[in-house]
Amino acid sequence: MAAGLNAYLLVGAVLFVCGVICMATKRNGIGVLMGVELVLNGANVNFVAFSRYTDLGLDGQIFSLFVIVLAAAEAAVALAIALNFYNNHLTIDVDRANKLKG
Amino acid sequence: MVGETLRNLLMIAWLLPLVGFAVEIFGGFWGSRQSRAAAWIAVGCIATGFVCSFSALMIWGNANHWSVMHKAEHGASHESHDGHQGEKGHEEHAPAGHEAPAEKHGSVSSESQYKLTALAAEEANTAHAAGPTVYSGTLYYLARFGSLDLSLDYYIDSLTLVMFTMVTFIATCIHLFAMGYMSEELTEEYVDHHAHLSNGHHVHRPGRFYRFFAFLSLFCFSMLGLVLAGNIFQVFIFWELVGICSFLLIGFYTERKSASNAANKAFIMNRVGDFGFLIGLMVLWTFFGTFRFGETVNDKGEVVQAGLFQLLQRDDTGNVIRDVETGEVSVGAADAAMNPGNARKTIPYFLLVVAGLGVFAGCVGKSAQFPLQTWLPDAMEGPTPVSALVHSATMVAAGVYLVGRFYPMFVQEVLLTIAYVGCITLFMAATIAIVATDIKKVLAYSTISQLGYMMLGLGVFGWGAGLFHLVTHAFFKSLMFLCSGSVIYGCHHEQEMPKMGGLWRKMPITAFTMLVGVIAISGLAIPGLISLSSVFAFSGFFSKDAVVATSLAFVKANPSHFLLFLMPLLTAGITAFYMFRLWFYTFAGKPRDMHVYDHCHESPLIMTVPLLVLSVLAAFCAVGGEQGPLFLLITGDQPSHVSHGVAAVAGASTLTLPGHDAVHAVHAEAGTYALIAAASGTLIAWLLYGTTMVNVAEMKRQLSGLHGFLVNKWHFDELYDALFMKPAHIIGKFCTWIDRTIFDGIIHGSAKVMIAVSKWDRLFDESVVDGFVNLLGSSTFAVGRSLRVVQTGRLRQYVMFIVVGVVALFAILFTTFPG
Amino acid sequence: MNPEFLLSAIIFVPTIGALLLALLFDSKNSEAMRLFAMATTLVTFGLTLMLWGDFQEGTSGIQFEVAKQWIPTWNVYYRLGVDGISLPLVLLTGLVSALAMGASWSITKHVKGYLVLFLMLESGMMGVFLSLDFFLFYVFWEVMLLPMYFLIGVWGGPRKEYAAIKFFLYTLAGSVLMLVAMLMFYFNAPDPGGRFNLIYLADAASKGGLLSPSLQITAFVMLFIGFAIKLPAFPVHTWLPDAHVEAPTPISMILAGVLLKMGGYGIIRIAFPLCPYGAQYWAWTMVAIGVISIIYGAFAALAQTDFKRLVAYSSVSHMGYVLLGLAVWKVNEANGQSIGMDYWQMGLNGAMFQMIAHGISSAGMFFMVGVIYDRVHHRDLNRFGGLMGKMPLYSGLSAGLFFAGLGLPGLCGFIGEVFVVLSTWNFSWVLAIVAASGVILTAGYILWAMQRVYLGAEYRGPHPEDLTPMSMRETSIAVTLLALAIVFGIFPAILFNIMEPSITSMSKAAESGYQQSAAQVTQLQAQR
Repeated sequence: MAAGLNAYLLVGAVLFVCGVICMATKRNGIGVLMGVELVLNGANVNFVAFSRYTDLGLDGQIFSLFVIVLAAAEAAVALAIALNFYNNHLTIDVDRANKLKG
Repeated sequence: MVGETLRNLLMIAWLLPLVGFAVEIFGGFWGSRQSRAAAWIAVGCIATGFVCSFSALMIWGNANHWSVMHKAEHGASHESHDGHQGEKGHEEHAPAGHEAPAEKHGSVSSESQYKLTALAAEEANTAHAAGPTVYSGTLYYLARFGSLDLSLDYYIDSLTLVMFTMVTFIATCIHLFAMGYMSEELTEEYVDHHAHLSNGHHVHRPGRFYRFFAFLSLFCFSMLGLVLAGNIFQVFIFWELVGICSFLLIGFYTERKSASNAANKAFIMNRVGDFGFLIGLMVLWTFFGTFRFGETVNDKGEVVQAGLFQLLQRDDTGNVIRDVETGEVSVGAADAAMNPGNARKTIPYFLLVVAGLGVFAGCVGKSAQFPLQTWLPDAMEGPTPVSALVHSATMVAAGVYLVGRFYPMFVQEVLLTIAYVGCITLFMAATIAIVATDIKKVLAYSTISQLGYMMLGLGVFGWGAGLFHLVTHAFFKSLMFLCSGSVIYGCHHEQEMPKMGGLWRKMPITAFTMLVGVIAISGLAIPGLISLSSVFAFSGFFSKDAVVATSLAFVKANPSHFLLFLMPLLTAGITAFYMFRLWFYTFAGKPRDMHVYDHCHESPLIMTVPLLVLSVLAAFCAVGGEQGPLFLLITGDQPSHVSHGVAAVAGASTLTLPGHDAVHAVHAEAGTYALIAAASGTLIAWLLYGTTMVNVAEMKRQLSGLHGFLVNKWHFDELYDALFMKPAHIIGKFCTWIDRTIFDGIIHGSAKVMIAVSKWDRLFDESVVDGFVNLLGSSTFAVGRSLRVVQTGRLRQYVMFIVVGVVALFAILFTTFPG
Repeated sequence: MNPEFLLSAIIFVPTIGALLLALLFDSKNSEAMRLFAMATTLVTFGLTLMLWGDFQEGTSGIQFEVAKQWIPTWNVYYRLGVDGISLPLVLLTGLVSALAMGASWSITKHVKGYLVLFLMLESGMMGVFLSLDFFLFYVFWEVMLLPMYFLIGVWGGPRKEYAAIKFFLYTLAGSVLMLVAMLMFYFNAPDPGGRFNLIYLADAASKGGLLSPSLQITAFVMLFIGFAIKLPAFPVHTWLPDAHVEAPTPISMILAGVLLKMGGYGIIRIAFPLCPYGAQYWAWTMVAIGVISIIYGAFAALAQTDFKRLVAYSSVSHMGYVLLGLAVWKVNEANGQSIGMDYWQMGLNGAMFQMIAHGISSAGMFFMVGVIYDRVHHRDLNRFGGLMGKMPLYSGLSAGLFFAGLGLPGLCGFIGEVFVVLSTWNFSWVLAIVAASGVILTAGYILWAMQRVYLGAEYRGPHPEDLTPMSMRETSIAVTLLALAIVFGIFPAILFNIMEPSITSMSKAAESGYQQSAAQVTQLQAQR
C-alpha cells in the first residue's frame, strides 16, 4: 500500500519544524541559511504531495520548482551577504548584526 | 412772401449780434486793449438790427394796409383827437412816427370805408392766428420723436415787431452811451477802486472794453431770440441765455466779491423761477404735445398740427371750454376733424392752472416780482449801461412780455395770481425805494415796482395796458438809468445820493433829461380843457393810466378785490414821491459834498446824445394814449378774448374780466385819481427835499423802526438766507456725511467683516484642519516610537516572533472557528 | 476698408499699438512713446469716424455685423456690430481717448507702462461698445477693468490704493451679478446656437420666449445692479468720488467720459431688451433712483471743498438724468399698452444724448481741474480765486465747459437734461417736479464753484507764480471739447438722427416683449 498524503505532510512538517528550530537556535549565519533551506524544502514537499493527491494538478509541482529556483537565488544572495558581513565584522554571528535595531 | 421777408429781416437783426459777439470776443482777446473796434462792431450790429426791425415793421404794416391802425378810428369814435395826435406822432416819435401816414390815410377815408376796415380788423382779430398779421413757421428741428417734435420757430405779430424795434433801438442808444461810459476800460492798466487785494491795494488789471461789448452783443442776440421765439420751449432756451448774459454782465467786475455774489444770486434766483417754468413746460408738453404758439403748416399750406393757442378753446364768453361731466378742459376740440387722434384729449383744469402758474413763476423770477425780487437791486453791481439795458428796459421786461405772449393759455386763477403778485410787488418795491440812497438802487426798486404795474395790468385783463407800460417804461427807465450812469461817470463812480446835490449846474443836459424821465414815470400830466384824453402828458402817464383804469374796471366788476385798485393808486403817489426825491436829492439844492461836486463834470457828447434821443422818446412815444399809434400797434394782434372781456360763469365763483368798453367807461375817473395821487406825491417830495421846510433827518429818526425795516428791504435777504441758503448747505453737508459715514461705512464695515471672517477662517484652518492632520502624524510617530523597543535587531528573536505569531494565529483561528 | 474688418480694427489697433510700444520703444524716450500712443489713439478715432461715414443713418438694425465662431462648445461667437445706440458711444470713446491721451503729457512716472495700459483700456472700451455677444461683452467688460485698476492704483494720488481697490471691487461685484444673469439667459435661450447672441436673445425676449416674467424680474435686478454701479446711481455711487479724486487727470477724463456710459449702455442694450417685463416692473424704482441721484449728487456737490470731488459728484447728478430718461416707461397695466410711448422714446433719446453730452462736458471739466492742478498742485476750492485775471483764456474756456455742465441752452448739457425732464411728467408728476428742482441746485453748485475758483480779486493758494497760461496742447483739447459742446447744443439732431431709429425699434420690441409676458402673467393668474 502506498504511503498516504498524511505521511508526506508529516515529513514536510518535520522538515519545517527542524528548519525553524535551526533558524532560531543557530548563531552562525550559514546555519541560519541552512534552516531556511529546510523550511523551504518542507514547503516543497507539501506542494508536491498536494499536487499528487488532490486535484491541484501540475500547479503544485511547478510551484515547487519555482521555490527551488528561488531558494538557489536566495542562497546566492544570502551567501554574498554573509561574505560581506564577514568582511565587515570578521564573524558571521548573526547576533552581532544588530545595526537595524530600532 | 411777406412772412419770409419778415422772417429774414428779423433773423438778420437777431443773428447779427451773435456774429458780433464771436468777432468781438476773439478779436478782442488777441487785439489791442485800447481799440474801440469791438464797440463799433457791436453798435454796427445792433444798429443794423434796428434798421432791419424797423423795416420789418413797415413791411408788415404795408402788407396788411395798417389794419391795426384803422382800429384807431374805430376806437377813436368815442373821442375825436386822432388827427392831432397823429401829427404829433409824425413829428416827434421816431420809431412809431412813420406810421402816421397810415393814420392819415385812415382819417381821409370816408366814414363807411373805415367802418368796413375796422370790421375786417375785428374779424382778423377774432381769427387771431389765422389772421394775416401773424406769421409763424419753423427754422429748424432740434429733434423729433414719433408725433412729438421740438424745433426753433418764429412767431411774428405786432407785439414781436414792436418789441424788436424797441429793443434794438434802446440797445443802440445804450451801446453808444456805453462807449463813453466804459472808455476807462480802454487801457492796459485799469485800476478797480472797488476791489481790494489782501494787502489793501486796489486791483490793477488790463481793461476789458471788448469783453463788455461782446457780452452786450450776446445779450442782444439772446433777447431778440426770446422775442422772436415761436414756441414756449424756445422762449425757455433764450430765457436761460439772457439769464447767463445777465450773470456775465452783473459779474463784469469779476474782481469784486459783491459783483460775483450778485451775479450768482441773480442767476440762481432766476433758476428758481425757471424751475416753475420747467414744471409748466412739462404739463404743457404732456397734455398738449406741442410747444408751438401757432399752427404748423406744411409745404402745401395745410395745417398739420394746431398750436397751443388753437388747442385751448374758448367759448364766446371768453372762458375755456370744459367738459360738462368731468370738468376737464378739452384740448383741441375744433381740431378733431383734421386730427382725430387728438379728439378726446383733455387736461384737468387744475393742471391748466399749474401750467399757467409754472410759466408765470418763470416770469416772476425774470421780472423780479415778489417773492423773487431780491436779486434785481443787487444786480446793480453791473456797469450802469447794463442796468439800463438788461435790468430795466429789456431782460427784466421779458417776464412781462412772456405773460403777454402766453396770455391765451392763462385761466382766471392764474390771472388773479398775476394781479396780486404784481400788486404786492409794486407796493413793496416802492416803499423800499423811498429810503434807498444809492441812486441806482432807487431806480432798481422803481423798476421792480413798475414791473409790478405791468404784471398787475396784465393780471386784471389789461393785456394792452400791461404791454403798453412795458414799452413806455423801457424808454423812460433806460433813459433814467443812463442819466444815473452819466451822473456816476461825472462824479467818478460816486453813487450815494447824500453826497450829491445841486448837480444841475454842472451837468445840465443830464439833469434835464433825467427830469423828463422822472416826470414820465411819475405820471404827471397837464389836464386838458375838454376831457382827460386830451391831456398833455409824457408817456408814463398814458400807460400807467391804462393800467390803473383797467384795474378800476376790474375792481368795479369784482369788488372783493378792491386792493388791486387801491394799491397801485397809492403807489402812484409813492412813485412820484421817490422819483422826485431822487431828482431833488441829486440835482437840486446845495452841494452836500464839495469834493464830489468840484470834480463833477458833464459827460461827453457820445453819452449825452443818447440821453437826448431817449428823452424825446420817453416823453412822446405813447402820444395819443390808448388811441395813439403805439398802443394800437401793440394791441394789433391781441388775444381774441381780450377785447370783449370775460363774463363770469353763472353759478361758479369766477371773476368777471373787464373788456375794452368796461375799461373805457371808467377811464376818465381812474385818470383823475392817478393824477391826483401823482401830484400829491410830487408835492410831498418837493416839500421834503426841494425846500428846507421839513427836517428830513428828524423824520427819519422818529420813524426809525419803519425806516430800518425798509432799509433792510423788508428783511427778505435774511429770510431767504435762513430759509433756503443755509438749509441747502446743511443738506449738502448732510449728503456728504451720509456718503462718508453710511455708504462708505457700509462698505468699510463689510470690508472689516470680511477681514474678521478671514481671520476666523485662518484660525480654523490652523487649529482644526491642520490640527487633525498633525495629530494623525504625531500619533503615528508615537506608535512607531513605542514599537521601537521591539526591534532588537536580533535575527533569531525575530524568527521566534514569527513562530510564536504563527502559532498564535492558528490558535486564534481554531478557537474562533472550531471545525 | 472692408467694414467688417473696420470694427475689429477699431478694437485692436490700440492693442497692437500697445504691443509695439512695449516691444519696440526704449523706455527712456518718453516723448517718442507719447507721440506714438497719441498717433495710435488718433488713428483709432479716425477709424471710428470712418465707421460713422459708412454708417447708414435712418435705419434701425445692426450694421457691419461680424460673426465668427470662437468657442464652439459653448456657442460663443466673436460677434461685432454697431447700430444707432452704440455708434455715438464708439465715437465718443475714440474722441475722449484721443483727448485724454493729449492730456497725458503730464504723466511722467513709468511712462511706458502707463501708455501700454492706456491703450489696452481703449481696446477694452471699444470692445464693450462693439460686441454683440454677451460672453464677448463680458470679457471686454473685465478687460477694461484691469488696466483701469492699475492706472488708478499706480499713477493716482495719495490714496490711490484705496480708490483703486474700491473701484475694482465695486465693479467686480456688479459684474458677478451680471455673470449670473448671463447664465440665466444661457440656459433659457430657446435656440442653443444663439445663447450668447444679444440680438437673438433680444428678439426672443420681444416675442416673450426668453425668460418667464418672474425670472425676468430677478434677472433684471442683477443686470441693473451691475450697470447701476457703473453708472453710478445712488446708493452705489461712492466709489466714484474716490476714484475720480485719486485718478490722474486723463484717467478721470476717461472714467467720466466713457466708463460711466457703459452703465447706461448696458441698460439700454442688454437689460431692457432682454428683460422687458422686468424693466417695466422696476421702472418706478429706477426713475426714483434716477431722481434721487440727481438731487443727492447735486446736494453733495454743493458741500465739497475739493474741486475734483465736486465735479465727480456733479457726474453722479448728471448720470441720474440718464437713468431717469431710460426708465420713464409707463404702461397701462390693464391692457399692457404703453401710455405715451412717444414720451418714453423722448426720454430714451434724451438719456442717450445726455450720455454723450456728459461725456463731453465732464471730460472737459475734469480736464480743466487737471490743468490747474498741474500748476498749483492743490484742489482746495477755498484757496483759489482770481484766475480770471491770471489765466483769462483758461478761465473763459472753463466757464464754457462748466456752463455746459450747468445745462445752459446752446450747450450740450441742456438738451439731454431738459428732454429727459420733459418726458418725465408723463410717468410721474411727483418725480418730475423733484427732478426739475435739480436745475436750481446745479446752478448753485456750479456757479458757487466758479465764483470761488475763477472770480475774485486774487489767487489765495500756494504757488501763485506757477499760474502760467495754457499751453497749445491744453488749449486745443479744451477748445475741441467746448466746440463740440456748442455744436451738439445747437444741432442736437446730428446725434438724434443716428440714435432715433434704433431706439424706437428697441422700445417697440421692449413694449411687445412686455405685452407677451404680461399676457403670460394673466394666463397664470387665470389658471389659479
